[in-house]
Formats: sequence, C-alpha cells, structure tokens
Amino acid sequence: MPPIIDVRELTKSYRVHKKREGLMESVRGLFHREYSDVQAVRGINLQVEQGEFVAFLGPNGAGKTTTLKLLSGVINPTSGHATVMGFTPWERKNEYRRRFALVMGQKNQLWWDLPAQESYLLHQQIYGVPPDQFTATLNELTELLDVTKLLGQPVRELSLGERMKMELIAALLHSPDVLFLDEPTIGLDVIAQHNIQQFLRYYQEKRKITVLLTSHYMKDVAALCKRVVIVAGGLVQYDGSLAGIIDKFSGNKIVTLQFGIADRPSDLSRLGTLLDTNWPKVRISIARAEIPRVLAEALRDYTIEDVSVEDPPLEDVIADLFHQVA
Amino acid sequence: MQLASEESASKHGVYTSGTHLPNTLPRRLMTWWMVMRIALEERLAYRGDFALGTLMRFLPIITQIFLWGAVFSSLGDDSATGKKLGGYNFPDMVAYFLLTMIARAFSSMPGLAGGIASQIRQGEIKRYLIQPVDLVGFLLLSRLAHKLAYYFVATVPFAFVFFLCRGYFADGFPPAHLFVAFVGSLVMGFLLGFFLEATIGMIGFWFLEVSSLLFIFMLFSFFLSGHMFPLTLLPEGVLTVVNFLPFKYLAYFPAAIFLGKIPDDELPMELAIEAVWVAFFIIACRVMYSRGVKRYSGYGG
Amino acid sequence: MAGRLTIHPNYWKVFLTFASNSLIRDMTFRANFIFQCISSVAWTAMNVGFYLVIFQFTKSIGVGTGWQQDEFFLFLATTWFINSIVQAFFMSNAEEFSELIRTGGLDFALLKPIDTQFLISFRRIEWSALSNFFAGLFIAGYSLYGMATRETDAYVPSIGMFVLYAFFVMCGVAIMYSVMICLAATSVWLGRNQTLYDFWFYITNFSRYPMEIYNRGWGTALLGLFTFVMPVLVVVNVPARVLAMPLHPRAWWEVPLMLWAIVATIASLAFSRWLFRKSLLSYRSASS
Repeated sequence: MPPIIDVRELTKSYRVHKKREGLMESVRGLFHREYSDVQAVRGINLQVEQGEFVAFLGPNGAGKTTTLKLLSGVINPTSGHATVMGFTPWERKNEYRRRFALVMGQKNQLWWDLPAQESYLLHQQIYGVPPDQFTATLNELTELLDVTKLLGQPVRELSLGERMKMELIAALLHSPDVLFLDEPTIGLDVIAQHNIQQFLRYYQEKRKITVLLTSHYMKDVAALCKRVVIVAGGLVQYDGSLAGIIDKFSGNKIVTLQFGIADRPSDLSRLGTLLDTNWPKVRISIARAEIPRVLAEALRDYTIEDVSVEDPPLEDVIADLFHQVA
Repeated sequence: MQLASEESASKHGVYTSGTHLPNTLPRRLMTWWMVMRIALEERLAYRGDFALGTLMRFLPIITQIFLWGAVFSSLGDDSATGKKLGGYNFPDMVAYFLLTMIARAFSSMPGLAGGIASQIRQGEIKRYLIQPVDLVGFLLLSRLAHKLAYYFVATVPFAFVFFLCRGYFADGFPPAHLFVAFVGSLVMGFLLGFFLEATIGMIGFWFLEVSSLLFIFMLFSFFLSGHMFPLTLLPEGVLTVVNFLPFKYLAYFPAAIFLGKIPDDELPMELAIEAVWVAFFIIACRVMYSRGVKRYSGYGG
Repeated sequence: MAGRLTIHPNYWKVFLTFASNSLIRDMTFRANFIFQCISSVAWTAMNVGFYLVIFQFTKSIGVGTGWQQDEFFLFLATTWFINSIVQAFFMSNAEEFSELIRTGGLDFALLKPIDTQFLISFRRIEWSALSNFFAGLFIAGYSLYGMATRETDAYVPSIGMFVLYAFFVMCGVAIMYSVMICLAATSVWLGRNQTLYDFWFYITNFSRYPMEIYNRGWGTALLGLFTFVMPVLVVVNVPARVLAMPLHPRAWWEVPLMLWAIVATIASLAFSRWLFRKSLLSYRSASS
C-alpha cells in the first residue's frame, strides 16, 4: 500500500523584501525590489504510513511549521512533490480539505464572542456532516475531553487549556483521516498538556488516524510517538525511533561513580568531563568508546563502591544537535 | 483613536520623567519640544503616504464642486458675477469649501474626547492625580505640537491645491484687517475645538460610555459647523438658532471672514462672541476636570 | 467518513449559519447595536436636511436633467439601499480579510472545504447597517407617493420597473463588492494600509450623485473614467434612472447604459475573482 503521506524533495523558499512602511513606499517597492532569499524548507523527503503517529522535532525556524502548512495546502511550495491521501495539498480540492484537519497551538479559529457550540454547528454545515453523526461525534469528544459544561460558554471566557480542547474538538468533528498538529500544547500548564496528550493517544489508537505532530516539548513526543523526525535547517536530520536518537547523536554516556574514600582526589578530570560533584558521588561524561578503559582505570586507581552508566537526557542530546545545525 | 504620540508619550512617562525636578517652565518646554519632535517624526516618516492622504482629503470637494455647479447652472448662472445663494455665488462656494478645509485643519481634534474618556475608563487618570501634572495642559500642548507638525508637512499639498483653484477666489486676497481677523478666528477655532471636545471627554467621569454621545455630537458638529454648506443657506428661523451655537466657529466663520461675507460692522462683535465661547469652554473644562477628579473612585486600572 | 453524500457544502445553509451567528453576536452587544442603528439613521437624516436646504433654492439639480426633488430623493434612497447592503454584508468582511492576511489567520479559511472567497466574503453580517435600508424605504415611499400624486406628469412606475430596479440595485452591489474585494486583496502585496481604505470612501463618494453633474469641463474625463474603467457611476445611476425616470421620454443613452451596467457587473466580478485568486497564490502565512 502506498504511504498515506508521501513527500519528495519538498522545497519552500521565501523572497523577503526589505520592509516598507506606508503606501507610497509600498508602491515604490513594486518597482525597485531589494530582497534576500530565505530557505525555509530545503528538500524534505518523508513517507508516512497510515495509522502512524509521527513527531516533528526541531528548533525554531527549522521548517516544521512550514512543512505542515505545505501539507495542509495553505502555502505553495517552490519545488518538489507531496501527496496526502493521493491529493496534492496545494490544489486545495474540497475532497481533500474535508478529510484532514490542522490544529495550531495558540491560534484560534472559533468565533470569539460566541459559545463553541455555535462554531461547531457552522463546522457541521461547512463540512457537510450528517446530523446524527455530528451529535454522536460531538458527544464522544466532549466526554473524552471533559468539556461538556463549557459548550455554552463564549470562547473568550475559557482558559487557554480549555480553548485548546475546544479547538481540538472542532478539528475532529468531521472525523478526518489525517491530523496535523502544530505545537498543540505550547503555553499550556502541565495538567492541560497531560490531558491533551492522553486524549490524543487514546483517540489516535482508537480511530487509527495518521497524525503528524510538531512540538518543542519532549514530553509530548515521548508520550505519544514512536517515530521521530528531526528537522533542522530545513532538512530532515533524523528519522527513526526516540531511543535511536541517543545512539546516533550522542557520543557520550554519563558515568556516576560512588567513591569509597574520604578525600576527593584532585586528578579526577583525567577520567572525563566532570559534570557535577556531590561527594562521594561524581558524575562524569565520558565518550562511549573510552568507557571500558576509563572504568578499568578508575577501578584500579581508586576505591569505588558503586558504578552506574546512563545515557544523557534526551533533551540535552537534542539541544546539542540543534546547536550544531544552527 | 488617540494620537499615537500622545499615547506613547503618556505611556512611557515622557511627561512624568523627571518629576522630581521642579515643575518649571524650562522643563515644560523641554517636554513639549519632545512631544513636538515625536509628532514631526511620525509625519515625516510616512511623508509620501501623508502627502497622498492629504491630497485625497480634497477629493470629496471635487464632487461638491460638481454638485453645486449643477445647482447653480440650473439657476441659470454659475459665473463669478452670478446669482448668489445665501450670499455665495458659485466660485464663492468652491472657495468656501477650500477654506473650510483650512479651518478644519485648525479646529478638528480627532480622538481627543474619546482618548480622555478611555483614559478615565482604564484608570490611567490615576497617574495625573498623584503627580503635579496637568492633564489638560499636557493634552493642549501635545495637540499644538501635532498641529504644527501637520501644518509643516501639509503646507505643500495645500498650497498645490489652492494654486490649482486660485481662479475661484474672484476677489483675490482679502484686505489686511480681514486677514488678521481670519488668522485670529483660526487660532480661536483651535482653542474652541480643543476645549469643546475636552469638555465632552470630561463627561467620562460621570458616564462610562461616552462614545455614543460623542458620535451624535460629532454628527451635529459636522452639520452645524458649516462643513457641508455655508450656514447662511439655512432658512431664517433655523439660522437664528444655529447662530447662537458655538459650532459655526469651527468651519464656517473663518471661511466667511476670508471671503468678506461678514459685514465689517458685525465682525468685531462676532469675534468677541467667539472669544466668550472659548473662555466658556476653558472654564467648563477646568471645572468638570476638578469636579470629576474629586468624584473619581478609581474606575478600571 | 461514513454517510457523507456530497463533496461541496450547502452554500445556502452555510450562509444562513453565518447570518444567525452574526445576529446572535449583535444581540449580545445590544446597546452597541441600537446605537449603531441610531447613528446610521442620524447620518442619513443629516443628508436629507442638506438636500432639503438645496431644494429651497432650485427646482432641479442640473439643467434639463429632470432631477427634481422627488426624483432626486428617490436617487438618494437608492444610494442608501446599495450602501446599506454593501456595508451590512461586505464591509467588515473586506476589512477582516486584510487583517487575516496580515496575521496569518487566513490559514484557517484555506483549510475549509468551501470556496475561500465565499467564506471570507460572507462570514460576518452587520445587521445594524440595514437600518439605513429602512430609512431608504421610507424616503423612497415618500418620493414615489409625491410623484404619483403631483399635478403635472403624475407617474407611477410599472411592476416591470420595480423588478428591473431590484435587479440593477443588486448589480450595483456586485460592482461595489468587486471594488472592495480588489482593494482588500492588494493587502497581500501592499500590506495593511489605512490610505487604501480611505481610497474606497473617496471613490465611492463619486457614485452618490447623478452622473450628469460631471458633464462639464474636465469632469467629462471623470465621467468616462468612472463609467467605463472603474464603473462606480453606473452603480446608483442606472437603477435610480430606471425607477425615477427623470426624463420623459427616456434619453437615447439610457438603455445602452443599462446594458453596459450588466456587462460591467460581470466584468467586475470576474476581475475581482481573478485578483482574489492571485492574491491567495502569493499568500505567505505568518511565521509561527
């Protein structure tokens, strides 16, 4: 079966004009152009099978959101191909648009002054959802997210977390087969984040929809996705499992030594990079290849009571990776 | 819509910076110069846009010219020696509209009343209560700065339009005494316009929602100030009433002086009455301000 | 996915939902709504006052044009019909479109399985702007009564005239809509600009007077420009002439003008659609 999302060499670059203020300047700007090219996406290749839950991870400006917008048909690419469910997104065919949804964190599409209920009815009309299906879906979603009593309240009176839940419901009312989520939990408190993660996991497993999620938060990714795509500098830097990231990108491991002597030796730094000392425990970052040798030395030279070897935290690895690419 | 520089100046405490210094004239002048500079910069930064916008403001006059041209021609004569309506023949009429543009450039105070009312509503007035700062004085100087900056940059488009239309000023430039009276009426028009709107803004101390009242007021002001047509065209009874109102000084009066439509014997009297109106509103504004401040219980904020 | 029968939404039902959502919203801010109605009508009353002053002095506007008081007030009523419809249905949507382009909110509109131009054109209805429509009805009624009961040349328009009138009023609305959308679409290239909106008001100002008044001196150039290039002059003039019939019998150029109005309507709508779609292609969205 062909992949449900198939992206080949997708490229998007922007020509950024020098910013012009005022009408006269803008009109003048139509004749004399000063510009620079910004490459937001530089040739992304990606294949996603139906039912997968894929995370897009990357620093700011990496091109994650641009990619989602390209796949949603909101913007047109400079070059390259992509199909989602067999459709070319930027042709914006109605048949395509009623089968996917995009949710953007901290961006609101519901009518501000009206209760969410009214916006949902509008959605129903626009997407052409039959009434009984609409009612069933709405009930299911509001129960899952526990927002039934909020349906009648004007959206502007809701908290950030509650609004996000309402946005999610709006996106899922027409039972899309593909869901794009752009930083859905950004700016939310920990509890709200957790609730939404739980919901997404349950919903995706139950409905077997394909989900593409971009996020800054490791917790989102760890909780939800087996497959992680790291995007940085407009390119795919890594595509695989979470665990694999550490193997691929981290050259070091963290060794914790518990010493059995009273005084702290002064030459510990020859073992590796000292991270912190909480005598008698010392944490040292050591290159993987060196670990057998260093451990042997340490055990030989000092009295060691306890040893543990761990991977560095995922956040650090990824942060390092982002720094490298920038 | 408060003037951007008024808003930013008061938000950034331009006026209140250095309040530990004595409230002397030099410090006030410095502040005023600062506001003036900001206003000028604003205008100059967008000057192309601004010039275009100023020229576009004359566009409605074009349709008025054609409309009145049609009216006068249906009366049989639209020449400079032609029939007069309310004392105005066709060229007079065109000259009148152009002059009201100048008068309005002096007397219109966009966003003043609304700005005061919203400052009251949002509790920003507090700042003016705890510090030895005069809200009205500050606003007056800031408007003055804005107007001066406006005239500086608007002179070119205005001069251009007037040059194009010089044919309509059949009597040419008015004699010296009329011109002096004209300038005087413009200056008083500025003061009247300012204190009239400021007084309305002060109503915000008593009623939170001033904007509806304000809008109705603006509507009447537009009609009764002579902006749409010379007030002498109104039927007798209506004209008598309108003459007692202060609105005519905002647009009609200066234009009429320039065109010599105010008889010489009535002129000093009219100017005196205008001065009385100005004084009245200065006092009314002050009184309402101090009363309002006393009543103020710290809304909003 | 189950149970879906159509690919395209029921546009009429969507429009009704927009209408009712707007009404609900307007009713939640009732005081404001009432105030808007009053100010619109007050403004109209002021205009009536102005023209009453003019008609004190003259029997008609322009020589041999036939725009006497009753006919002219019917013309005025026509301007209010057209303007109130444009303001109620399209004005706030056009402004909103500019904002959506600037803030990137247009994204959400592009995601919906519905024609984007339809979506952004009809989202919001300002019900209070229709108060002027009723003011227009009142003035029109008064004028028609005056024309029917006057001593010389008493005139009652036929049913066919009323039908044609309604048709050309809608043509006028369509032309104004097209101008509005074109201006709003330029935000994609020129950014949000207040001067552009002032431009709209100044241009449409020309449309509010009988076109004959421009027929002097260099005004004929304006006449040509605003009839054939940016056809705002046919907006009010054509329907008003149909119903008020200022000249008995009709002038030779009236029927060709009507035909031109139809052509201009179609051309304007087509052009604005084309410009709209072009602007979507250049749409950048906003950075996250």
